[in-house]
Amino acid sequence: MEQALDTRATPLARAVRHGRWVLRYRELVRNLVVRDLKARYKNSVLGFLWSLLNPLLMMAVFTVVFKVLMPNDIPNYPLFVLLGILPWNWCTASVMGGITSIVGNGHLIKKVAFPRELLPISVVISNMVNFLLALIPLGAMMVAFGVMPTPLLALLPLIIVLQLVFLCGLALFLSCLQVYFRDTGVIFDVLLLAWFFLSPVFYRVEDLTEQWARLMYILNPMASFISLYRLVVLYGAPPDALFMLRLTAQAALILAVGYVFFVRYSHSFAEEV
Amino acid sequence: MDALRFERVSKRFLLRHDEHRSLQKWFLARFRRSPAEEFWALREVDFAVPAGETFGIIGENGSGKSTLLKLAAGILRPTAGRLHVAGRVAALLELGAGFHPDLTGRENVYLNAAILGFSKREIDTRFDAIVDFSELERFIDQPLKHYSSGMLVRLGFAVAIHSDPDLLLADEVLAVGDEHFQRKCIQRIDQLVRAGKTIVVVSHSLDLLRQLCTRAAWLDHGRLRAVGPADEVAVAYGDAMAQLDGTIQRIDARRWGSGDVELTRVELIDGAGRPGRLFHTGEPFTIRMHYRATRPVERPVFGVAVHAGQTHLLSGPNTRHHAMVIPCVEGEGYVDLAVPALPLLRGDYYVSASVYDWTLRQAYDHHDRTYPFHVESSPGHTVFGVLELPGATWRHAVGAAESTAGGTGQMWPVSSVHRSPPENPPA
Repeated sequence: MEQALDTRATPLARAVRHGRWVLRYRELVRNLVVRDLKARYKNSVLGFLWSLLNPLLMMAVFTVVFKVLMPNDIPNYPLFVLLGILPWNWCTASVMGGITSIVGNGHLIKKVAFPRELLPISVVISNMVNFLLALIPLGAMMVAFGVMPTPLLALLPLIIVLQLVFLCGLALFLSCLQVYFRDTGVIFDVLLLAWFFLSPVFYRVEDLTEQWARLMYILNPMASFISLYRLVVLYGAPPDALFMLRLTAQAALILAVGYVFFVRYSHSFAEEV
Repeated sequence: MDALRFERVSKRFLLRHDEHRSLQKWFLARFRRSPAEEFWALREVDFAVPAGETFGIIGENGSGKSTLLKLAAGILRPTAGRLHVAGRVAALLELGAGFHPDLTGRENVYLNAAILGFSKREIDTRFDAIVDFSELERFIDQPLKHYSSGMLVRLGFAVAIHSDPDLLLADEVLAVGDEHFQRKCIQRIDQLVRAGKTIVVVSHSLDLLRQLCTRAAWLDHGRLRAVGPADEVAVAYGDAMAQLDGTIQRIDARRWGSGDVELTRVELIDGAGRPGRLFHTGEPFTIRMHYRATRPVERPVFGVAVHAGQTHLLSGPNTRHHAMVIPCVEGEGYVDLAVPALPLLRGDYYVSASVYDWTLRQAYDHHDRTYPFHVESSPGHTVFGVLELPGATWRHAVGAAESTAGGTGQMWPVSSVHRSPPENPPA
């Protein structure tokens, strides 16, 4: 519970001390994630079965719409759309949960000194655990469709880590923004819908014109992530190295900006929430 | 070495009158620049608490006490000035931070401890002690929503107090739980004091301040009015409050209370019914408190305390603990505490006399160690110590020792008792 209170120290010394302080709270991240997951599943009969079932039902809906009502030529469409739904669900849940993570824990912020960044980060992590659990029904679907994984599946953890980095940066930024502008949550209700349609959840980026596809990859990291998941899980094709490099830099930059922004304003949270 | 040091610390809050911050308001504010109102919660507060001291902070509501604690805890940042905190801080500002009703007591202990900065190992090693302290073993695997509010507070306090801090910051949350648990909390804080930990208590109870603290600071509208020995600061504060509302009377550091019931005279009376200051071991002894109540006061509690010298409290009986209810007092009267055979041995003693309300929180009149008396022991009484053990007799038996009935008592080899050095007689 020591904190960098000496306001005369150099920025570097303060950053190092802050880092050490945050590290002491590793246990808190685990506990917040466990609290979130347990609380989520304790009150419903089907418990976490629901969270596995939910993406499968979504998959069924999309399959009916885009295979029966408006047929397309994408092979293994249920698997294809599931690989869009899972990372997208992780993203929306993290964005919505992240936005309220500081304001919704005002009682804690006002009464206890702990690294505030752990609140949005733990939201992202607990949704990542949900994502990982949902890989089980995905595996079952692959077996059902006779799609065998290739050695490229080994790249999956790397893509997950990159998405984690990206979402943490985003959640940090938005949770902080919500403290000062309470409209953030309302705006994102709409923005997320737009973002969903601008992400290749139920369509292929390749179906767009080259310019649009390029623009989408640059502006929307979720498009890159969804395409990458499909590439390594469904198609067994190696991703482009330059593409990976650009995405890594992008995710790291978003985390850095989000974190700096958060730390810059977090010390007055206790007065603002 | 200071555990906590404030160097000209100021804290400003900006009061925004429209609490709902939205983009619309923000854009509007760009055009009509109405500056937020400033409020200085603390101004140039300057004091230091050396390691190992129990320090009190007193002041009226809104004087900045809580802001000061939050600054020390690292929850708020000073607007100006610097502050130093050495070592690990535990702040008892909120008990049970982050408790979740759907999780069990066990899960919540882990969660709460993690928020307070415990490592996994620290929680594991202290878990049993925490549950033990809370006295909630039977319920620890129940969801928290089935706990009573008292149980929640106990669990929260148990976790907080086991964080092994170098500096403990406590708000008035100490006044939690039933009497039994309160005593336990005070005991635990006492342990921390004796272990050399630094404690900062914020309170507006003068009694608590005197009981716990060696030094104190008085905050008045965000500024320090006085820093010094707790007794003196308490007196100065009490006087100022008395001038403000005229009800609290405070004659000196040894007397306090609201004065609704006043102890007008206290007499110490011997077996022959004579008031005096010299008494004899084994003879009758009566403490008589004359009172005057200016208005009808319901269920007052009269109490006395006998101290050996000025320091050791030997006994502190009161009418409530002896299940004696005085329905109402008005006008004059007296209350006697009669001791048939004085168990005190030769020495000097002091009597405190007091009258409180039923909850024992509000003092009507408290005379602290004000009445001295001396005890003489005739030959045939114990020479060492301060107490005659009532009804104690000696017995001698010859032959091999029989074990006592049931044989469960702890037996010591007689030789080791003989070889241990004799107790030093008291000086």
